[in-house]
Amino acid sequence: MGKTFDWLDKKFRIKAPHKGFLRRRLPPGLSYFYCLGGAAFTSYLILFITGSMLSLYYVPSEMEAYESVLKIQRVVHLGWLIRGVHKWSATLLIVFILCHTLRVFISRAYRAPKELNWMVGCLTLVSVFASGFTGYLLPWDQKSYWATTVGTSMASTIPMMGRHLMYLIRGGMDVGGDTLIRFYSFHVLWLPVTMAALLWAHFHMIKRQGIKGGL
Amino acid sequence: MTRRNFLTGTAKAIVTAIVTGVMAVAAYFMYPAGLRARAMVYCDCMDEDALPKKGVKRAEYRYKLKGNEMAHSVFIVNDERGVYALSPVCTHLGCLVNYNRLKNEFICPCHGGKYDVSGKVISGPPPAPLTRLPLKIENGRVYIGIMLPATAAA
Repeated sequence: MGKTFDWLDKKFRIKAPHKGFLRRRLPPGLSYFYCLGGAAFTSYLILFITGSMLSLYYVPSEMEAYESVLKIQRVVHLGWLIRGVHKWSATLLIVFILCHTLRVFISRAYRAPKELNWMVGCLTLVSVFASGFTGYLLPWDQKSYWATTVGTSMASTIPMMGRHLMYLIRGGMDVGGDTLIRFYSFHVLWLPVTMAALLWAHFHMIKRQGIKGGL
Repeated sequence: MTRRNFLTGTAKAIVTAIVTGVMAVAAYFMYPAGLRARAMVYCDCMDEDALPKKGVKRAEYRYKLKGNEMAHSVFIVNDERGVYALSPVCTHLGCLVNYNRLKNEFICPCHGGKYDVSGKVISGPPPAPLTRLPLKIENGRVYIGIMLPATAAA
């Protein structure tokens, strides 16, 4: 690698411990279906970058949210592009992560000793769905408002505590400004941080256990 | 050139191109859009009779920006040089200076810059005298000229 990397590596010592992993022999029978997890992670990275950029202009307020999205779409340099990339990467992330889950299931890669990695993967899947759900509200237009009204209403069908769970998710009786701020916080802070931790665990276990059990 | 060197080089070139491209797009995205040249607008300040006969008077000029009433302060000075308007913005780092009547000086509260009534620096860090703003008297009203965005109206 380059001189800058070598200089950094002298301090961080990343290269030596990974040498075995990077030069390992892959098990036979791998195909492009084993790239779906990587594709999902790439989508996550693109979402992280474009999302960080959108957060420079988006205003999570009842009065200004929709206006700020219009501004991103019409005024900001390449705003339409960044928002479009964010939206489509989100769609692709859902597709890739579902296909990845299906591949792991079909190739029985969830079996011991990789059962914990399957659980971590499932938690990531739930976090991705939650990110999609919270992100859908943020444009604050008719479609997102009513989709969130319907989506959060589903929580109320749980017996006994359902209604209170719905109020908890909404931050009030109805979907309103408090819901918007809460969903924004989850979308840009809680969920990305959770996913980063889960993905670290996911990749660490792959390094230790190899693809499909045993290197 | 070995096959491995070629592939490594190509991979590095592609990664460098993508990273550079993304950084360029991000910088362009962050750079504020819709910056337009500012134009001189004369804002209503006070009645001609309210001008100080002698000395310094703090006044306000008003204008409208995006439907909001804006008001900024200005010092009107009347001395042997005549009547003129001084911006209260310190030329050091942009704080607003106060007029000290006892010392007859403008003193900046941030870093202690001092100016005399004509705006000249007496002591402290300011690199330049206080800015003189154009002052116009029309139909018995005093107007202060200031550079404002095109969306502003007097």
